[in-house]
Amino acid sequence: MENFKNNKIIKKIGFNRVVLIGVLILMYFAFALVCSIMGKASFINYQRILSLLNYSYFLGFLALGVTFVIATGGIDFSIGTVMFCAALVGGQLLTKSGLPVILCLLICVAVGVIFGMLNGFMVAYMGLPSFISSMASMMLSKGIGSVFTKTQSVSWPQATADDGWYRSLVKVTVGGVTIPTGLIFLIIVAIICSMILNKTKAGRYILCLGSNKEAVRLSGVNVKKWECLAYVICGTLAGIAAIVFVGAYSTVQPGLGDTYNNDAIASCVMGGTSMSGGLASIGGAFIGVMIISLLQEGILAMGFQKDWQYVITGIIVIIAVYADVRSRKRRN
Amino acid sequence: MGEVILTMKGIDKSFPGVHALDHVDLEIRKGEVHALMGENGAGKSTLMKVLTGIYSMDEGSITYEGKQVTFTNPREAQAAGIVIVHQELNMMNHLTVAQNIFIGREMMSGKLINDSKMNKEAIKLFQKLNIDINPNDKMGDLTVGKQQMCEIAKAISHEAKVIIFDEPSAALTETEIEELFKIIRDLRDQGLGIVYISHRMDEIKVITDRVTVMRDGGYVGTLITKDSTKDDIINMMVGRVIYEDPKTESNVAPDAPVVLKVEHLNAGKMVRDVSFELHKGEILGFSGLMGAGRTETARALFGADPKDGGDIYINGTKVDIKTPMDAVKAGIGYLSEDRKRFGIVVAKTVAENSTMANLDNFTSGLFINKKKENQIAQRYVEELKTKTPTVDTEVVNLSGGNQQKVVIAKWLVRNCDILIFDEPTRGIDVGAKSEIYHLMNELVAEGKSIIMISSEMTEVLRMSDRIVVMCEGKKTGEIDIAEATQENIMHAATLRD
Amino acid sequence: MENKEKKGNAFTNNPIVKAVGAQKIVVLLAVILLYVVFFVMSSSFRQYTTLVSLLDSSYYIGFMAIGVTFCLITGGVDLSIGTGMICYALMGAFCIVKLGMPVGVGMLICVVAGIIFGFFNGFLVAILNLPPFIATLCTMMITRGLGSIFTGGLSIAWPSSSTPQGWFRTIFKINTSGVLLPIGIVFLVLAVVIMSLVLNKTRPGRYIIAIGSNKEALRLSGVNVVKWQWLAYVISGFFTGLAAIAYAGVLSSSVAPGSGAGLELNAIGAAIIGGTSMNGGSGTVVGTLLGVLIMSLLNIGLPNIGLQANWQQIITGLVLILAISLDVFKNKKLARA
Repeated sequence: MENFKNNKIIKKIGFNRVVLIGVLILMYFAFALVCSIMGKASFINYQRILSLLNYSYFLGFLALGVTFVIATGGIDFSIGTVMFCAALVGGQLLTKSGLPVILCLLICVAVGVIFGMLNGFMVAYMGLPSFISSMASMMLSKGIGSVFTKTQSVSWPQATADDGWYRSLVKVTVGGVTIPTGLIFLIIVAIICSMILNKTKAGRYILCLGSNKEAVRLSGVNVKKWECLAYVICGTLAGIAAIVFVGAYSTVQPGLGDTYNNDAIASCVMGGTSMSGGLASIGGAFIGVMIISLLQEGILAMGFQKDWQYVITGIIVIIAVYADVRSRKRRN
Repeated sequence: MGEVILTMKGIDKSFPGVHALDHVDLEIRKGEVHALMGENGAGKSTLMKVLTGIYSMDEGSITYEGKQVTFTNPREAQAAGIVIVHQELNMMNHLTVAQNIFIGREMMSGKLINDSKMNKEAIKLFQKLNIDINPNDKMGDLTVGKQQMCEIAKAISHEAKVIIFDEPSAALTETEIEELFKIIRDLRDQGLGIVYISHRMDEIKVITDRVTVMRDGGYVGTLITKDSTKDDIINMMVGRVIYEDPKTESNVAPDAPVVLKVEHLNAGKMVRDVSFELHKGEILGFSGLMGAGRTETARALFGADPKDGGDIYINGTKVDIKTPMDAVKAGIGYLSEDRKRFGIVVAKTVAENSTMANLDNFTSGLFINKKKENQIAQRYVEELKTKTPTVDTEVVNLSGGNQQKVVIAKWLVRNCDILIFDEPTRGIDVGAKSEIYHLMNELVAEGKSIIMISSEMTEVLRMSDRIVVMCEGKKTGEIDIAEATQENIMHAATLRD
Repeated sequence: MENKEKKGNAFTNNPIVKAVGAQKIVVLLAVILLYVVFFVMSSSFRQYTTLVSLLDSSYYIGFMAIGVTFCLITGGVDLSIGTGMICYALMGAFCIVKLGMPVGVGMLICVVAGIIFGFFNGFLVAILNLPPFIATLCTMMITRGLGSIFTGGLSIAWPSSSTPQGWFRTIFKINTSGVLLPIGIVFLVLAVVIMSLVLNKTRPGRYIIAIGSNKEALRLSGVNVVKWQWLAYVISGFFTGLAAIAYAGVLSSSVAPGSGAGLELNAIGAAIIGGTSMNGGSGTVVGTLLGVLIMSLLNIGLPNIGLQANWQQIITGLVLILAISLDVFKNKKLARA
């Protein structure tokens, strides 16, 4: 075991992440096994994987974003509803006001950025506790989304429509074969995020202030700016998540989206990002997203109610956070 | 003095990596005030925590009223009559005075708490102590002095036989201290055993009957106060003559320019109209008792806490320092007394901490230049002789002295001209201490200027070129090292209104 | 050191204001002001039925808010109350409608389920030392899922008042010769009085305040802090159970799974408006009641002046931001004083 842990490649990837990948693979085959025992349709086929990936795209962007916020020691409960708000606002302008697609996509991102700025301002500059202020912006984004669309759901154009080109961000069909371009998109953004977090000044300060904000402040660093930035990054990614969400699912309903917060937070925590800040892993969040997506796909495939997913995610988060609390205690 | 009420014998306690108590003895008699003395980290508080059951002991025995006892929590100790009045007051500010005094043993009428009865009992207690406090006031609204009186009242209400005062006078005014002493004498005359922990030599002489001295977790000895001199006690505390190596004259050139001038600095109640000058190449010592407002002055100067007024000039130019950002830009670096909270990010590496204040210089394009960062970190590890396996080691794994060196490296990387060392050697072992001193001397020789806040007289007399003394938020003295003695510093440090 | 004792202005130093609490007076004035504004602006608001529905919504928000006030005073929070309330109401409905249990048993199930989840939250926070907001977030997810799983994802209605099983609705209002008497307010006020007494005059209440004020000091006083911190969450769970009954009792339509998200913010917002601090240590049940009235007024009043339900979420969000900003500002001022 020790040998395994000290192996160079394992060390490079991180032991926890190797375990997570193991869990992911195990889960996949467990679902396959259970499905075949239960006499359900086979779990191992390309369509399943595509459907699983569809779920992972928007969740992935949400999780990447919230990783930055959790790294500062905060939390953002508004990401899911902000994503929906962005998709609703963008979609309404596209379908009802006839704005060009590209502009609407940008508007999606802009909505995310604005909410990110709002959250960042409340936490970093006004000093409000992040969990409650972000819940307030959860309410705001929910309300604005439904007010903007007059409580109607909005459908973005299908792939075959003239304006449907944006869907190639998520998948492209060439000669009858569907290529999940969304995965490439997600991986590219994940790599960028990982570089921001680990290689730039912004990332360095975000992680450090999550660990000991006062020490960073007393080093003459503008902690407010960097803390705020984490929320802006998070909001931006929630805006991008809106694009891949409609790219995968087309229709957005007002008043929803808050359950995705939990999925995203669960993905991060599972991936080794500590709720108390200072410690974050983009790679871990990515694997966490895959696990959650697989979980929801598996639950559907076995014919269970989707609600089981909430229960299981809840339990997963408890275990992950408890493990984090324990390991911190042991270190001190 | 009456018969022995409490005996602690051969108390031994280790924490991971620290031998906190090394076979310590302590004996308390009825009707005596017994001082427990020692420098910071000598083990006084740990010993008292063992006594009251907050820590368990590894070895040794406690005999109380003729019986061998072990308390497993403070409540048991309380019930037996051993009560501690803490240095950090343990008050629930949102509750009233009476509610605090009787917390955990409320007086009930049926299922409901009888607050009026508790108020009456509290008044009785206050009468016994001859103090005037409204038991219905919220604890958070009282002054620190009155809060302390409440703690004492709480102790007495436990029918205490032994009361431990842990640095009770640290935050009190002169009148409050007098009141406190009166109460302590009363209690002594009633036959209680009193343990008095303090740093203040003059108080020890005034109030105590015997003194037990501890050093580095060990028992040094017990003296009768009236038969011993201050020097006897000090020698026992430090284990050497205090004037081992004092500086005899200032190393600063008489024409050295003023690099920092502070005029009429005000911030809250702890910094009142403080003015001073710092010359190039000078170590300006800041002396004073605990709570004199030295750290507060440094923090206000550095922009860490808001100022109420005052002007700051650097090299003759007025600067506006509102935040630490401004201060760092102006070339000031601050090394906090509490390294773990304010100095370093323990979960990050030596290299990451070293470049914290100057990351811009290590960023090429979008990214941090890790190679350059590691090089500079490595350079300072070598220059400061920081003991760390690599620059990629997390700071949490380093000893206190080496952590301090990382903080110094941080400000050297930033190339600050003015450094504020707040208790630079607190919690640092002797070897590392002299290294830090050596470093400070090198820094001033290079033309940097240092403000050194220190509670250790040895340190002040050994390092400073000039000494500013503070008391209760005011500057009460400024002494050139050539004239400085322990006595005139102490005199200025106790110049109260 | 000079005299550090707190000074106030003429208003805050007035003995009556001091006894009642300045914030409560301000909130009470805000309640009256809001009421008058809606009264003037909307004719439909002036109707008696509006007043009844105003009270209707204050019952379940009120019960949740009373419970969560105890958690907030310990310095924690309970985010699971909204989804929890719906979950318990669904469980109760399921047992009554699908399993044919008497309505009394259904109500009991609500309360017992509430206590169980409160116990679970308390365990996570007091024993496992998880941060309260994240621990109760997990319970929020779990109760949200469980409620829906219980009914197979369907909405279920509690018996209507016309059926014999519908007697429980008379707990909240009775129809006497065409006039609806909102007697539920009696129970709410009774709950406020009792819990006020518990908070201020009993040991559990005293220790719950003390935990929020200075947990370590209380521990050193030899009090079992774990137990009392745990209790705060059980109280919150119990009252969420009561809220579930109130919610079912005043709601004419069926209870829908997933409809509880966001309701916790009404309750938490109410408590904070009422003067309970997010930092713990201070708060009153009476203040919470006033906060609840503000929340209900907004919920019921806004549609009457033409702002539909979706605006309410925005308003709730804004009110919440305002309330916590005030709280943070207040604490900052205290810290500087």
